[in-house]
Amino acid sequence: MWSQEVLALSRRWLLMVLRERLNLLFSVLQPAVWLVFFAGAMGGAVDARIVGTGDYVAFAVPGVIAFTVVGNGVSAAMPLLFDKETGYLDKLLSMPVRRGSLIVSRFVFQVGMNSAQVLLILLVALALGVRPATGVLGVLAILAVTGLLTLALTAAAMALACAVPSHGTFFAVTGFASLPLLFMSNAFVPLSAMPGWMAVVARLNPLTYAIDAMRLLVLRGWGGGVPVSLGALSLASGLLLALGWWQFARRTSERVA
Amino acid sequence: MGLIIETAGLGRAFGGAIAVDALTLAVSPGEIFGLLGPNGAGKTTTIRMLSTLLPPTTGTARVCGHDVARRAGEVRRHIGYVPQQVSSMGHYMLTGREKAEIEAALYHVPRRRVQARVSELLELVQLSACADRLVQTYSGGMQKRLDLACGLLHRPDLLILDEPTLGLDVQSRHHMWDHIRSLRDEGMTVLLATNYMDEADRLCDRLVIIDHGREVAGGSPAALKAAMGVSSLDEVFLRHTGHALREEVG
Ligand SMILES: Nc1ncnc2c1ncn2[C@@H]1O[C@H](COP(=O)(O)OP(=O)(O)OP(=O)(O)O)[C@@H](O)[C@H]1O
Ligand SMILES: [Mg+2]
Repeated sequence: MWSQEVLALSRRWLLMVLRERLNLLFSVLQPAVWLVFFAGAMGGAVDARIVGTGDYVAFAVPGVIAFTVVGNGVSAAMPLLFDKETGYLDKLLSMPVRRGSLIVSRFVFQVGMNSAQVLLILLVALALGVRPATGVLGVLAILAVTGLLTLALTAAAMALACAVPSHGTFFAVTGFASLPLLFMSNAFVPLSAMPGWMAVVARLNPLTYAIDAMRLLVLRGWGGGVPVSLGALSLASGLLLALGWWQFARRTSERVA
Repeated sequence: MGLIIETAGLGRAFGGAIAVDALTLAVSPGEIFGLLGPNGAGKTTTIRMLSTLLPPTTGTARVCGHDVARRAGEVRRHIGYVPQQVSSMGHYMLTGREKAEIEAALYHVPRRRVQARVSELLELVQLSACADRLVQTYSGGMQKRLDLACGLLHRPDLLILDEPTLGLDVQSRHHMWDHIRSLRDEGMTVLLATNYMDEADRLCDRLVIIDHGREVAGGSPAALKAAMGVSSLDEVFLRHTGHALREEVG
């Protein structure tokens, strides 16, 4: 029953995306463009001693992945926002659908989409000569990291979508938050190269741990930092997930128009 | 079965404003029951409480024997809610059939019966020929018919219709009325909110007129007209609710 609900809702999300081919094409292509043009160009301007590798593209791969996952995190809540505004959410909530299925189906869909996109980014990186140090298992670990990140961001975006009066506020908040979230992390610059205060802020940013884990998996190996970063990321994701879930449950139990 | 809808002192306030005030309704199985009232009278608010979308702030409501606040899940299994707004926007990019199939699954229609049930209902509302077109290409009347079909997927005991013929042409309205009557004849109970007196007069077995959230009159259309010695329900409505526009009264 539960699986029937999640499957049906996921089918709805998938159909809505597949019918917008151009939108799909551009959002799939975007990270590849980042990798080729941004990382390719920056590579020449970056000191290998600071980023810790001569291969800036390899250094930037986790950053581009994080960028993509954060960008997709914002769109994770789009259907909910529109269902709320068109009144269709009322219809959904009048059905014997578990409230959890609405959010779980978005998790399923977002994790699926993001995994496909991460694999594509890694393929493009491979074409540019980046071979992850940890091989195929490392790729699976990277998928697990992005999966965790996706859950956390989806939950946060859904909670925000429930709380805002309209999509205007939603985009104002996410537009305001997503760039600092990325630049106050080690996405494109290592912590050691940041001003001290910024490194402190970056250490409080869950994104930093996701990127750290992925970067170690791509550049180094399974050693030291990976379990620590994974632990920190799991903790942060767990907290965001709980917060998002609670907000969502609260908002959908009494829905005021 | 006992009463399908049973409310006692049902009320809802938004902040200080009282939208529905101490409403007591009793709807029996197999009735078409009308909810009438000027704009802002509280029809949609009442319907949202009965469909478990909005918790009452006072009183109680039981739908199909279950309390809407405490047994919302049970209530949802027994009702088919067709909202006031057409839901094409949420479904631009889906075909009529896809929308209906997805909703059938959400109503827990057994998987192997989904396709047959959807085809049957699309046939009933005469949308079979357009079933595989995107919903956004449907006319307003087709969208309303699709929404009606989607409210019937799980054979609900109570169908809740919020202004089912708003914006429809004469042909579509007559078709919609025929559908609603034949559903009643098959034993379904229908709760219908409407601003059209002719619609209420033709369809409803009984109705209540509410104003400022309170019941001001109730009974069968014939009894209401006879009590005032008038021939149209319009006349009954205006005598009970006055001629002032609601925006002016506040
Ligand atoms: N979410 C809300 N917050 C505050 N006030 C609300 C809310 N929903 C409804 N109201 C108020 O409650 C009153 C009843 O509104 P309702 O939508 O139930 O009227 P209605 O009878 O359905 O009107 P219409 O014929 O225009 O559809 C109105 O005064 C409306 O402004
Ligand atoms: Mg209304």
